[in-house]
Amino acid sequence: MEPGGRRSVTIAQTGLATFPPHDAFGRDLYDGIRGWRLWTMLGWNDIRRRYRRSILGPFWMTISMGLLVVALGSLYAHIFNIAIASYLPYLTLGFIVWGFISTSIKECCQAFGSQSDMIKQIRVPFSIYVLRVIWANLIVLMHTIIIIVPIWFYFRHGPDRAALMAIPGLVVISLNLVWVGIVFAVLNTRFRDVSQMVETALQITVFATPIMWPVSALGERRYVADINPMYHLIELVRAPLLGTLPSTLSWVVALGAAVAGLLLAMVLLRRVERRIVYWL
Amino acid sequence: MAFISAHKVSVDIPIFDAVYASIRKFLLDKAVGGQLGQQGSHVVVHALKDVSFEAHDGDRIGLVGQNGAGKTTLLRVLSGTYPPSAGTVDVQGRVSPMLTTTLGMDADATGFENIRICGMLRGLTARQVDESIDDIIAFTELGDYLRMPVRSYSSGMLLRLAFAVATVPHADILLIDESIGVGDEHFFQKAYARLNALVSRSRILVVASHSQPMIRKLCNRALWLDGGVIVAYDEVDRVLNAYSRRDPALLATAPGETRRTTAPASD
Repeated sequence: MEPGGRRSVTIAQTGLATFPPHDAFGRDLYDGIRGWRLWTMLGWNDIRRRYRRSILGPFWMTISMGLLVVALGSLYAHIFNIAIASYLPYLTLGFIVWGFISTSIKECCQAFGSQSDMIKQIRVPFSIYVLRVIWANLIVLMHTIIIIVPIWFYFRHGPDRAALMAIPGLVVISLNLVWVGIVFAVLNTRFRDVSQMVETALQITVFATPIMWPVSALGERRYVADINPMYHLIELVRAPLLGTLPSTLSWVVALGAAVAGLLLAMVLLRRVERRIVYWL
Repeated sequence: MAFISAHKVSVDIPIFDAVYASIRKFLLDKAVGGQLGQQGSHVVVHALKDVSFEAHDGDRIGLVGQNGAGKTTLLRVLSGTYPPSAGTVDVQGRVSPMLTTTLGMDADATGFENIRICGMLRGLTARQVDESIDDIIAFTELGDYLRMPVRSYSSGMLLRLAFAVATVPHADILLIDESIGVGDEHFFQKAYARLNALVSRSRILVVASHSQPMIRKLCNRALWLDGGVIVAYDEVDRVLNAYSRRDPALLATAPGETRRTTAPASD
């Protein structure tokens, strides 16, 4: 669109760090990750702000998630005719991981829009706004996932060594959220319908993905789960904490999506980086 | 060393939700500064056109011009947030913008917490914030208020806090928009001393304001914008004398003189 000569802006140093010309490939994400002190601080502050003046604070998330899974779990175990000892941990972990993924994506749609005052005033990498949202949701995840501990105790069925694989699993989920978050943040800044579309899609996905129902319920139609990338992402954390390892297919899909998606996000950011502020 | 160089900078701002005919009519009726055009299917505001100027160590520049003249847009270009649609900007030095007093502030967080948030947003490390904290406390004179959520602050108190953080010694180039106007006389005296100290460390200040006495006091140069174009960039009294009568012809006369010349305006 723009002739080459018009792009030569050199802002040597603004707030955060030294910036090269805006459109170096991958630079925004690289600078954004290096600015981790900033987005971890902002993400923590977002959580603190949400629960300021509340006595139980973030543990409300734990309590509400706990009540939800116990109520739904005992009912659905009966409906699906599964032993509650295996269904309740499955439902709990699925819900928590799903909550992390879906809330992150939803909030990333507003990652730039909600910070327009800041974006118009101080130059920091755009990826910082997305990383901040994902970090805040990781903190929420860490608060809610502890309800699996009393469930383990109650059913006397604790984690084994496989559980450690949940950690790389969570990293891979987060990497995927980074690119999805960047793409939707950019798109929603320019086209405000995107957040509505995303919300609708997420509503359908929660029912279409094996979260509340076991994958075995699909019988011969198991491919319905296998073609669903969200299923593979959730499996990366859920399976290890239930004592099995995620399938190779899940790893391949999740890692492949992360690599391809991050490249896509970098290409997109490089193309639109100079225009985002004018869309706010 | 701090340095600013703008060469033929233009900024076109797309307005996606405008109905072209009606917004043009609306804005023309209001007779504000920026000029409108059309690009594809949407309206664009030509906020700056071919703006060229340089600033060096010790320059304290006052931006003047009527509403919509492009003052804030120019500050945003200098802060690096508005990439020009044409031309080049070269800014050397750590920029500390204070375009609104609420940059990054969390209304429910305390003054101390906001000092940390705002400092880190401006590129300070947590340690640099800690090193500056006594200086900031002393300047704000907010005392125990710093332990209260900033939503309980008056706009003047908020300004003190924002100003103290924006002017910590790590800044090379300070950009200030109108906001500074809500301070009281006592604040203004202190702010003036602090800005002078900042500029004496060979830094650059760019401040946009409608208050001519303030600009005369703070600045040694003035940049007059009209409709996104530079009318004059010169010694502060010379520009303000012409600006206060909206008469570029007065630029040719020395400050204090009343003789009018017919020579074309130049800077």
